[in-house]
Amino acid sequence: MTTPIRIAHYLNQFFAGIGGEERADVGVSVREGPVGPGRALQAALGDPARVVGTVICGDNLINESPEAALAAIVAHLRELAPDVVVAGPAFGSGRYGLACGMVCRASREAELPAVTAMHPENPGALAHRREAVIVPAGESSTSMQPALVGVARLALKLGRGEPLGPAEIEGYISQGVRLVWDRGRPGYQRALDMLLAKLHGRPFVSEVPCRAPERVTPALPIADLSRARIAMVTTGGLVRKGNPDKQVAANATRYHRHSVKDLEALTPEGWEAYHAGYFNHIVNRNPNYILPLSFLRDLEGKGQIGRVHESMYALPGVSTPVAMARQLGRAIAEDLKAGGVEGVLLVAT
Amino acid sequence: MISAIYTFAMTTGANRVIRGARIEHVCGDPSLGPEKDYAYGMRIVRKALETLTVAVSGPTLFDPQAGDIQEPSHAS
Repeated sequence: MTTPIRIAHYLNQFFAGIGGEERADVGVSVREGPVGPGRALQAALGDPARVVGTVICGDNLINESPEAALAAIVAHLRELAPDVVVAGPAFGSGRYGLACGMVCRASREAELPAVTAMHPENPGALAHRREAVIVPAGESSTSMQPALVGVARLALKLGRGEPLGPAEIEGYISQGVRLVWDRGRPGYQRALDMLLAKLHGRPFVSEVPCRAPERVTPALPIADLSRARIAMVTTGGLVRKGNPDKQVAANATRYHRHSVKDLEALTPEGWEAYHAGYFNHIVNRNPNYILPLSFLRDLEGKGQIGRVHESMYALPGVSTPVAMARQLGRAIAEDLKAGGVEGVLLVAT
Repeated sequence: MISAIYTFAMTTGANRVIRGARIEHVCGDPSLGPEKDYAYGMRIVRKALETLTVAVSGPTLFDPQAGDIQEPSHAS
């Protein structure tokens, strides 16, 4: 019989039985063999693999000092000399999910294959799905068993050095990469099958999944524009001339707030665009194309809107992950609300 | 949201989408000459402000180049 595949398991303080929130700052430690859910993992793996050791870290510690914690975790993992690292499952727990994602990433960097499981909406899945193999799990530990079965299957495969197939077939969360894969039948036949299924009202699964558009509850209409405070936001990468605030041209992680209190219009002498996603020269000649200050001042003077808000908000809306865009959008919206703004014109290039 | 890529804007969660001129000059068109350029930009901005006074139930496209507010066109 061949030697069993060596599995190292990562757990947080709670699943290791150390304690709950009050012990979430506990440091990195290692124990021999399986601990807590590691025993059920061992059962799911069966004879071909053995959980040789368990590395444990408090959720707060790893999230607050990730570099130091991950260095210690990786050192312990290396000592265990595993063929595969299994982290979690983390279910819906955000800090644990982020920890498992980080442990998978660090393992991969240490050339150790790794797999974890968590709820697809867990921040850890949103942050690490591209770099970690994550089996979708339920929100709570009541779904421990199916999660471990999925993890064990992939762990065995990774342990044997077999390449993983596409996410939808192997049962992990899509990493957003395309794999060359033989589906057995040519595309036109599969497309015709889908078309026939659709015409007959039978279920079918698209090979090009689309994320459903986000739904936002519409804001109520403004009753009286002539009394409303109106603000402007642009994703066109508008900067002060020469970009003294050092805005990036893409992949924004912050937004910039500028005062337009004393301005009647945006001039090419004072403003320009710094944005890697479109041809900036036209805006550089007339920045009002992406932040319509000149028009709003005109309407403000005529009494058609109450007043133009003193602050405007700018960032380059290109190559920005949706999660980051959402975070920036929320922060801008909160600032606008705090400023008593009733309506916003968002110009998107 | 004022955008020239309005079909894309409709899928982002924006509920009031106003069709802009072009990506490189969303609120206006320099090829029209200064006066018409400004009038076109103003038309887009006025339409955008008007949408803030209208109730919508989901992503709805407003086209400043059409006369009145169009039938709501919803993102799929």
